[in-house]
Amino acid sequence: MNKFRNAPVSLLSVLIVLSLLLAACPAPGAAPAAQAPAATEATTVVTDTTPAAAASGDAMTTVFGTKLPDDAAPYDEQIYTTACSNTANMTTMDFAVSVYTRYCLSDLFQDTLIDLDKDFNVKPASAEKWEVAADGLTWTFHIKPGLVWSDGTPVTAHDWVATYQYEADPKHAWDFTWFYAGVIKNWDEVVAGEVPSTTLGITAPDDLSLQIVTTKPFPPLPGMMKFSFLMQKAALEKYGPFYNNDPKTSVSAGPFKLVSLEPGKKIVLTANETYKGFRQPRLKGYVGIFMDLSQAFESFKKGEINDIGYETLTPADFELIQKDPVLSKNYLRGFGDFRTDYLLFDTFNPPFNDLNVRKAFAHAVDREAIVKNVYGEIKAMPAYAMLMPGFPSSDTKGDLKQYQNYDCAAAQKYLADAGFAEGKGFPSLELWLRNEQPALQAVFQAVAASIADCLKVQIEVSNKDQKVYMDSLNAKPTKITIGAISYGMDYLDPTNMLGIWVSTGRHSWKNEEFDKLIAEATPLVGDAAKRDQMFRDAEKILVDDVGGVFIDHRWQGTLYQPYVQGDSIRVPDSNGISGPHWGNDWVNGNIYIAKH
Amino acid sequence: MTRYILGRLLSLLFVLLMVSMITFSLMHAVPGGPFDEEKQPLPPTAKANIMRKYGLDQPYWVQYTKYMWNVVHLDFGIPYQQPTTTVTALISSNWQITAQVGLMTILFAFSTGITLGIVAAYNQNSWIDNVVTFTAMLGITLPNFVVGSLLIFIFAVRLDWVPMGGWGDGSCLAGRYFCSDWVLPVIAYALTPMTVIARYTRASVLDVIRSDFVRTARAKGLSERIVMTRHVLRNALIPMVTVLGPIIPDLITGSIFIESIFRIPGLGKYFVTSTFNRDYPMIMAIALLIALLWGLVYLLTDIMYTLVDPRVRLGSEGGR
Repeated sequence: MNKFRNAPVSLLSVLIVLSLLLAACPAPGAAPAAQAPAATEATTVVTDTTPAAAASGDAMTTVFGTKLPDDAAPYDEQIYTTACSNTANMTTMDFAVSVYTRYCLSDLFQDTLIDLDKDFNVKPASAEKWEVAADGLTWTFHIKPGLVWSDGTPVTAHDWVATYQYEADPKHAWDFTWFYAGVIKNWDEVVAGEVPSTTLGITAPDDLSLQIVTTKPFPPLPGMMKFSFLMQKAALEKYGPFYNNDPKTSVSAGPFKLVSLEPGKKIVLTANETYKGFRQPRLKGYVGIFMDLSQAFESFKKGEINDIGYETLTPADFELIQKDPVLSKNYLRGFGDFRTDYLLFDTFNPPFNDLNVRKAFAHAVDREAIVKNVYGEIKAMPAYAMLMPGFPSSDTKGDLKQYQNYDCAAAQKYLADAGFAEGKGFPSLELWLRNEQPALQAVFQAVAASIADCLKVQIEVSNKDQKVYMDSLNAKPTKITIGAISYGMDYLDPTNMLGIWVSTGRHSWKNEEFDKLIAEATPLVGDAAKRDQMFRDAEKILVDDVGGVFIDHRWQGTLYQPYVQGDSIRVPDSNGISGPHWGNDWVNGNIYIAKH
Repeated sequence: MTRYILGRLLSLLFVLLMVSMITFSLMHAVPGGPFDEEKQPLPPTAKANIMRKYGLDQPYWVQYTKYMWNVVHLDFGIPYQQPTTTVTALISSNWQITAQVGLMTILFAFSTGITLGIVAAYNQNSWIDNVVTFTAMLGITLPNFVVGSLLIFIFAVRLDWVPMGGWGDGSCLAGRYFCSDWVLPVIAYALTPMTVIARYTRASVLDVIRSDFVRTARAKGLSERIVMTRHVLRNALIPMVTVLGPIIPDLITGSIFIESIFRIPGLGKYFVTSTFNRDYPMIMAIALLIALLWGLVYLLTDIMYTLVDPRVRLGSEGGR
């Protein structure tokens, strides 16, 4: 035992020696430097595993044999790097497996049936054409001949049938089943496990024809097919739904294929040389680098990544961008998913069961000041209704503004009419936020302050855990008296953005006339003008009856490196908006890295 | 001693059982579940199906009993966040990296902290002492994610000496050894424990320097080097065992801040993401892992005491 009495002195020496020894050990999982893809230099990443490198004839020709633009960097440098959150919940590369827990760079292993142009018009993608039968219920999509998977097998309509049957499988419990609820024949019954998935209203009369039967006439169906992301029937059956998480089992019918997927580290994709679809890429590959998104702007400035989304940028970052001539020129704004931030109420219980109270709140929010001074005009515009101007059937003339404009005197009068003059006797409220980032917390703090200041009521803002919030919102009856939330479209039709307000949706607000209008307008075919007007009438009811208080429509955008080029992001649409547009999957075939 | 260790290990099993019960109760008491809808409610039948698939439709006591039965058979389940792997595989693959960062941090923090503490004590009230004391205060007050961000800004962005982060992507010395992307996370992570250790070491050394036996050693004409190594450090570092032990489990289980900021694919993030995502199997496994580590480290600390200080006896030995 005595020999250990020298331990303290020895300990110090041993620590230092061990420190050096440990430092000399290779890191577990650390690739040799010579073999590791060079992710730190955006334009010099070369993945030796790609067959594309070997296949291209010269430095300016892609693996598909197409020439790069004159100002493009050589093909070997056409590697696009982007940031992936290293704390987000990600489980799959496939939309059909989970919509809300997809890895970054997903949805590049297949093409959907349709795509959108910059003005959001539906255009062919995997389906070269489609038609609806005279009954308005049976749609036939004709698959483009010659499409193949990366294993050489043909893409067929049977792959779509298998994908949809898997999506509706009750054992799968897909997180997006609500999307087709009430639309596709037998969808609800299959999801409920009442009938087998083979009875689903999606069939393949032959290899290149996909037939979809709807429960009622549904004009937006082709646009809805923006989400017809595909899985291979054979791989699904052989390897199960996560086959695209492993390069050994992954198979792609899209412009890129998987090279490696290391959660928490990086995802590497390379051009799929067998691809025959509508968006043959100029890029040789994609690299997604997992990182703390709070560091993404520094990473962007260092040139490690080629883009950064608006949601990752802080107000301080935006200030810097707006002051910098190069950065500001390359921050490209877009509609995104036409997202609207709004307040929701429990209108079935006091105090918000009183329309006067709701109107008081609607008129007490100084949206213009909040957008200008808190949110920033680069990121949002004031909202007076659910549909962002530019969205189909939206109020572009500002006719609905009168129902929810900032008018403190009117707001005070409404509250007095409800029996709470100068806020006396009005209960203290807690405004719930859904795990919002600091920038949006500030926005809703300002909203609460505007209401409290005008109406002399007490509102405390509480940023809740996302699951706690959604659990409480979806509870019937709801557990949220007043909350803030956002919604962005899933497909370009008013029935999507307004449909969430029907009384069976997530909000605790009911208006029978509104429900009736949405129910009648949604399946209406043959009279587009009437359908459009019905949605406009429905939205007027929504704002006048104050189902929600609409705060702002978000301008979304992406900051690109100046050398990221391509008409898809640099040429404006008919509204003068140039940035990436929602649903424009052709972007992935169009962008390229210019010489720099 | 053997009986004492066995007794402690048995009590550790009891602790693990209690931790599992408390964790299980708490995670189910928190509102929200792992498969809550993000946008629109799932049809009730679909929701029921997924709950059945993961056994969440059963009473809590059945879920708990089944889980513990599987744990006894070393089956910790499937993590909801990574359904293509197992909790055991996920933890072992990620923990390797975290443990390596943690061990490097421990070695760096301990060796540097002890050295700084000794130097400061031997130069008490000099400028060296002031610098060490100031650095120690800074290290304690600055959170590691602030230090990490600053280090990245200065050394990765401005000076471009090292990469911003990553794991195995940086340049390495001597072939693939000692990669540059390890430098910043280890420094950022080590700063707080290093300064804690420096402060404790300084205080302890100062205490011993002034003791009678050191004065006697000097009076006998021993060289200062021998006084320091044989008499001062030997005794001054004994109390450090108490301080050092609890730091270890913290460091080798990782930090979400350090791992997120420096892009290290380690275990640290799962402490937070498992809770946010209500990933029950991961929450349980991580809680048990941490409880086990703490239990073992405290046991080892007690054993270390008997080795470095003969006055200390454990268990029934203490009564003799």
